[in-house]
Amino acid sequence: MSGMPAPSIPNLLTLRGSRGGSGARGRARGRGGTRSSGTTSTTSMPSHDATIQSTDTDAAVSRMSAVDLGYLEDQYAQFFVQAPAMGAAVRRLPIINRGTYTRTTALDRLIGSFLSATDGQARQIVSLGAGTDTRAFRLFNEESRAKLVYHELDFPAATARKHHLIRSTAALRAVIQKPESIDQTHTWRDEGLANGSQYWCHGIDLRDLSKPDATPLTGLRTDVPTLLLSECCLCYLEVTEASEVIKYFTDRISRLSFVVYEPVHPDDAFGKQMVSNLATRRIRMPTLEEYTDTGKQEARLRDAGFDSVHSLTIERIWEDWISPEEKERVHDLEGLDEVEEWNLLADHYSVSWGWRGIGLDAWRIGPS
Amino acid sequence: MSDLDKAIAQLRACRPIPEAQVREVCHKARELLIEEANVVTVTAPVTICGDIHGQFHDLMELFRVGGDPPDTNYLFMGDFVDRGFYSLESFLLLLCLKVRYPDRMTLIRGNHESRQITTVYGFYDECLRKYGSANVWRYCCDVFDYLALGAIVLGASNTLESANEATAREDVEIEVCNADGDAISHFGRRGKASNSDQGSPNGKTERIGPPGSGASGSSGGTVGNPAGAVLCVHGGLSPLIDTVDKIRLLDRKQEVPHEGAMCDLLWSDPDEIDGWGLSPRGAGFLFGADIVKMFNHRNDLSLIARAHQLVMEGFKEMFDASIVTVWSAPNYCYRCGNVAAVLELSEDSGGQGFFARSNGDVGRSDGGANRGVLLDSDEGARRGPARRYRVFQAAPQDSRGMPAKKPVADYFL
Repeated sequence: MSGMPAPSIPNLLTLRGSRGGSGARGRARGRGGTRSSGTTSTTSMPSHDATIQSTDTDAAVSRMSAVDLGYLEDQYAQFFVQAPAMGAAVRRLPIINRGTYTRTTALDRLIGSFLSATDGQARQIVSLGAGTDTRAFRLFNEESRAKLVYHELDFPAATARKHHLIRSTAALRAVIQKPESIDQTHTWRDEGLANGSQYWCHGIDLRDLSKPDATPLTGLRTDVPTLLLSECCLCYLEVTEASEVIKYFTDRISRLSFVVYEPVHPDDAFGKQMVSNLATRRIRMPTLEEYTDTGKQEARLRDAGFDSVHSLTIERIWEDWISPEEKERVHDLEGLDEVEEWNLLADHYSVSWGWRGIGLDAWRIGPS
Repeated sequence: MSDLDKAIAQLRACRPIPEAQVREVCHKARELLIEEANVVTVTAPVTICGDIHGQFHDLMELFRVGGDPPDTNYLFMGDFVDRGFYSLESFLLLLCLKVRYPDRMTLIRGNHESRQITTVYGFYDECLRKYGSANVWRYCCDVFDYLALGAIVLGASNTLESANEATAREDVEIEVCNADGDAISHFGRRGKASNSDQGSPNGKTERIGPPGSGASGSSGGTVGNPAGAVLCVHGGLSPLIDTVDKIRLLDRKQEVPHEGAMCDLLWSDPDEIDGWGLSPRGAGFLFGADIVKMFNHRNDLSLIARAHQLVMEGFKEMFDASIVTVWSAPNYCYRCGNVAAVLELSEDSGGQGFFARSNGDVGRSDGGANRGVLLDSDEGARRGPARRYRVFQAAPQDSRGMPAKKPVADYFL
C-alpha cells in the first residue's frame, strides 16, 4: 500500500481555494539530501525476530513521509531512511501520515510533561526497541532538557547500525560527539553530552534482561525519576516476556513512569483482518490477544505496580488532544478523504501510561 | 470475436490491454457518454453498486453474486479507481462493458474519478507503473469528465420475488441475501410477514394510519413519494440543489471542482444532524434527515441510493429508509474487514407502479454482521421500492492469482 508518487504530484488541496484554509504549508518534498527510502523490506526473513526488526524500517519510512509532508518536524528523520536507488521518497497515505503524527504528538506531550515535572534534577528515559527512533536527538537538541540520561535498547544488529550511522553523519555527531563502545559488550555511549546529559545505546535481546546470569544494564540509574517507553515494542514479545521486561524496571526503580503504544481491539472485523494481515507478514503480537482494549491496558499497568494509569485510543487522542487549529493545520497538509477508514484504524491503536512516585499531575487527565 | 470482446476477455483475466486500445476504448466511451444527460434515466430491473476502488477480484465476485453483464443490468455509483491494486483493470473492464452494452451498464462519477484525487490515492501511480507513462491515466481522466453525475431509476417494483420461493411476496419490502443467493432475512411492510421476518428489536410499536393521512401522529408523510423514483448519486445532496432538474442544468464536463453543486453531489454525506453541516472531508457537506425527506418529497422520490462511505455491513439505510448507502468493496483496502453489498431493484411486472401499502412501523432492525444496517428512527413507516441486498465477502485469496507479492496493508508498527 505504500504509494510512491513522484515529488511532482500536486497537493490535493492546493487548488481548493478559500474553503480548505491556508493550505500550502506543507514543506516542499525532495529537498536535497532528504530523500527517503523506497524499501519496506519485503524480503523473506528467516525468523520472527528478524521480521520484527524489519518493522523498524517501516516506522522510519512512515516518519519520513510525515516529516516530508509537514505533519511533523524532525530534522533527524532523513538520516534513518536509506536513499532510494531510484525514484522519489515514499509517500504514505494520508491516514497513515495522520496516524504517525498523532502517535508521535501524543508521546511527545507525555514525555514533555515528564521532563517539565522533573526539571532541574537528573532524570532518565529508557526506550525499549528504540531502533531508528530520533527522539533522543530531538530532546538533546533542546536547551531545556538538561541532566537527561537516555537509554535505548534494541537488538545488537540495530544498535550497531545506529552506532555506525552516528559516526558517519555529521549532523548526528554534532549531538552525540563521542559515541564510544564498551569493550566486550554491544553497548556504546556518550556520557559527556551538553547540559550534563548522557546517551546509552544497549545492544541486547530484551528477553535476556531478566535472565539470572544477565549482566545489569550499564549506566542505568535507579535513583532518579525514570520514564520507560515502549513504542510498538513489547507487543512483539510473549505476554510473560513482556511482563518480565517491565518487572525488571519496576523491581529496581521506585520513581518510575511507563508509556506504552500498542494495537488494541483484535476481535472486531477490522481487528481480525489486522491480525490476519500481519500474520501474512509473519508478525505476531501476543500482547494484543491479552490486552484487548484500553481497560485491559490500564489493568495491566496497575498490575505492574503503577498507582495511576490511563489509556486512550489514537482516535480519542486525535479528537481530544489535538486543538482545532492544529487539526485544521494537519488537514490542510493533504486533505483526508478516508474519514471512515481513519476512525477504524485509529480506534485500533492505544497509548497507555502509568506512574508512581513522581508528581506527574499533568499526566492525570491527559495533557491538553 | 470483435476487438472489444477480446479486450473484455483479456481484462476479465486481469490483464491490461495495450495503450493504443485503451485510447480507442476511451474515445468510444467519450462519444457515448457525451450523449448522456447529467442524470441518466435507468429502468428497473437494475442492480446498484457502490465503490469498487480497484479491487478487481472483488468486482469479479460481485459479478458472480449479482449476475454477469449484460444479463444483469448494472448501475455503478462511482469510485472505480484508487486504493486497490487493480484500478486500471477494474475501470477499463467496466468501461469496455459500457461501450459493448451501453444500455445494460450505467456508470456515474465518484469523487475519485478526478485528476487530483487519483494522483494522491494510487490510480496515477498504477498507470505509470503498468505503462511507463501517464498517457493511459490521461485518457481515463478525460473519460471521467464525461461521466454522468447521477441516475434516476424508474419502474421499480414494490414487491419482491423471493430468492427462495420464487413467488412474489407483497408483504416483504427488504430481503437480504448471502453470496449464494439464499435469503438470510426479510423485513416486512406490515409486520405480519412470515416467520423469517425480523422482529422489532427496538420494541417500536406499530402506527395506526397511513403516513400523511392524519390517522397517526407520524410525520412520515414527508418522507417522499412511495410511488416515486430512486435517485442514485455518489455522495449526496447539495445546498445549491433543491430539485433533480437543477442537477440537469450543471456543466459537468470538467474536472471535479473543489466546491459548488457538482462537488457536493460527489462528496457529501448524510449524518444525524438537522439541516446542513460542515464535512470532515473538507469538501461537500453533511446533511440531515430533514434535508433528505424534503428533497425526496419535492422531487417525487421514494429513495436516494448513494455510495461514498465505508459501511462495515455493506449497506446502511437511514432516515426512515429515505436514503441508503451501498458499499461494494469488501475488505476495503485489504484491511477493513467489512462485507460488501449490491442493491437489486426488480421490475414492476404488474404495471401498477408503487402504491402505499405500508402504514405500519415494522420490521425494524439494528442490523447484524450479515444483515446490513436498517437504521430507522421513530418517524414514519418503511416504504419505497422492494429492495434486495446481496451481501458478499472478499474474493478468496487463492482466486486472486496474485504473483508472489501479497497485498499487504499498512499499519503502524
